[in-house]
Amino acid sequence: MNKKKIYPQWFLIVPLVLYAVFFLLPGVLGVAYSFTDWNVRSLGELNFIGLDNYIEIFTSDKNYTAGIFNTLKFTVISNIIKLTTGLFLAIMLKEKLKGKSIYRTLLYLPSVLPFLIIGLIFKSVLNYNNGLLNTFLEFINLGFLKQKWLSDLSVVWKSIYGVDAWRGIGYVMTIFLAGLNTIPQSYYDAASIDGASFWQKLIHITLPNLTGSITINLVFGLTYGLKVFDIIYVLTNGGPGHATEVVTTYVYQLYANGQYGLSVSLNTILFVITMMIGLLVVKYMGKQEVQQ
Amino acid sequence: MKKKFMSMLLCITMIAIMLTGCSSNPTPENNDGNETSALAASESKDSDSGAGDFAGETLSIMVSQGWMDNRYDETIARFEETYGVTVDLQTIPADQYDDMLQSKLTGGTCADIFWIQSNPFAIESVIVDYENYCINFTGAQWKSVIPEARLDSCMVGDTLYGLQLWHNSPEYVMIYNKTLFAELDIESTPSTYTELLTVCETLAAADLTPWFMPGADGWQHPLPFFQIGGVYEETQPGLYDALNDNTATFADNEKMLEVLTQFKELSDKGYFGEDWIGSDSTNLANEFGDRNIGMAMGNSSFIQQIKDETETQDEFGLFLIPLGDNDTFPTNPAGPTMFGYKGTEHPELVKAFFDFVCTTQSLQEILDNSPAYTNIAVNDDAVEQHWLPEEEEFMQSISEDKMLTSVLQTGTKYTNDYWMDFAADLVAYCQGTMEANDVLKNMDANRATAAEVAGDEAWQ
Repeated sequence: MNKKKIYPQWFLIVPLVLYAVFFLLPGVLGVAYSFTDWNVRSLGELNFIGLDNYIEIFTSDKNYTAGIFNTLKFTVISNIIKLTTGLFLAIMLKEKLKGKSIYRTLLYLPSVLPFLIIGLIFKSVLNYNNGLLNTFLEFINLGFLKQKWLSDLSVVWKSIYGVDAWRGIGYVMTIFLAGLNTIPQSYYDAASIDGASFWQKLIHITLPNLTGSITINLVFGLTYGLKVFDIIYVLTNGGPGHATEVVTTYVYQLYANGQYGLSVSLNTILFVITMMIGLLVVKYMGKQEVQQ
Repeated sequence: MKKKFMSMLLCITMIAIMLTGCSSNPTPENNDGNETSALAASESKDSDSGAGDFAGETLSIMVSQGWMDNRYDETIARFEETYGVTVDLQTIPADQYDDMLQSKLTGGTCADIFWIQSNPFAIESVIVDYENYCINFTGAQWKSVIPEARLDSCMVGDTLYGLQLWHNSPEYVMIYNKTLFAELDIESTPSTYTELLTVCETLAAADLTPWFMPGADGWQHPLPFFQIGGVYEETQPGLYDALNDNTATFADNEKMLEVLTQFKELSDKGYFGEDWIGSDSTNLANEFGDRNIGMAMGNSSFIQQIKDETETQDEFGLFLIPLGDNDTFPTNPAGPTMFGYKGTEHPELVKAFFDFVCTTQSLQEILDNSPAYTNIAVNDDAVEQHWLPEEEEFMQSISEDKMLTSVLQTGTKYTNDYWMDFAADLVAYCQGTMEANDVLKNMDANRATAAEVAGDEAWQ
């Protein structure tokens, strides 16, 4: 027995088995089912249909590809908003500021709220006729800024990004704060002596030393964005029309309509995209970290 | 040694707890095809059940917004008191209900009682595996309470599954403010689309919303298209049968395209309200009472609700939806229907609830607590109905030959199942991201999918 190890290796067997059975196996089964005509009337009789489900997804008039595009678009834009804003907030809150603990707490609080609660509240706040936002804008004589926040095609996605950012920025900021606290102050002092500006310190000191935090936020943010469902389902349910449909809302609709094979096919596509992007990010950011 | 023993013990305990937590309740599918085994097991336990035997149990009911609301509160409270049970009423937003119900049924986690919007085809097309999901109520005494015309929505063949307690008021016709119309010199209600446009122009000029359309409900805005099914059948006799035999399609139907075009025109002109897509119907009575709107779709009995909730002195009236120059009545012997979930742990309690709500006292309570409804369609002369004079006047103004065709969603197979999909497509069309014929093509494609899944020979 290796006396340096705290626990024996066979301790891993049970959690590995549980993980394989409850996490890996359903995923593999799902991929297998995507090649069948599994539906609500199948009742145990499944027929192998090859790639028919995938062909249906990419050729259907239902425009599932728009859902895939919307998912990718949401992932990219929401992460840009949350990461940049979260980083700058973390930098500000790292400074010696009165009451910064209170600010940190207030900024973090939305991220502990369930999406359902947030969605219901903001659905009311963003109502065109009676919502708090438009009413407030009228009250301060900015009625010309009133929008149909959740029913105007040119505004609805911005509203979703806004609500999502409101919830997610606190969490991202907290991860960045933890990372910032590991950067020695002497680096910044030396840079100040050499006459470095804020942006130069940011680019040459802060960002390179935050690679780990950026990786964490990026990986979490990307997987969240690709799997997004709650916030969209509660705010718009894929509407108005089909403007805010994403992969997961289509998956849910297909499942609810009893088209299980098509539903898991869409999920499989999402899984492949998520896996590819996740691996790329980890590989690239890992290289950056090694180069440091 | 002691450490090893403790760690082994903790591991075994952890596994045991996890496996216990992962065990599932018996579902209908686990009963090896024995139709009544779940029922029998519980029946043997509850064979001598009376009011006291249910004490402490909880009866869960899953229902869509609008189908029960507060109407059943008094009856439920009395049921709880009578049987010493708790009723867990789960009201789901209308636009999420269908998806949630399917998830619950297939996942085996459905409430003890669930509802669907039923019609002669819905049990097979919406519930699908009704033999596995629904309690068989054949032989129940309360069957006699259901009018003959509504039994098709509660039965499959000779087997009784559902209970439909709904009203017979004209459903989703146009309600209008008579007093306002008179003040604006609108002499008569529109019976053609052209007349409707003229009325809307007049109302809009008076800074009113001509026709309030609550698009945010997710299910109301398709009504003008489907409720006028009679005009499609009149234009093309035999259309309903052809749609059910798959010898006709929604796509390229000229009358339907005309109606959709008219709907979009009203939307584009702003006659549905500034943000009809984002507006819901929760404040509809007040919109009428505050004289913000001229017309809206509603059940005829909603007039009483407007008067009760707003104390308005205005008079209200009814007329048929005039899209497509429609003059047919929206006959619809269908409605929200409750079913007992076969996987329930309390089948006898479910049966007791069904018996309880069908007593004269309960039916009267349900009607009296329904400000929006003036009658309840039941075979019980002891129930005192509250028909409005406006309703009686309206019904008398329509000839019987205009009442022969049911609404499109009830008279054709697999149509109502895709109501919400149609609703989303209709919004997309009004926003210019879809063409009218594509909306109809999608309905055809959805019906075809449902038909193929159902093994309908007409689609093979």
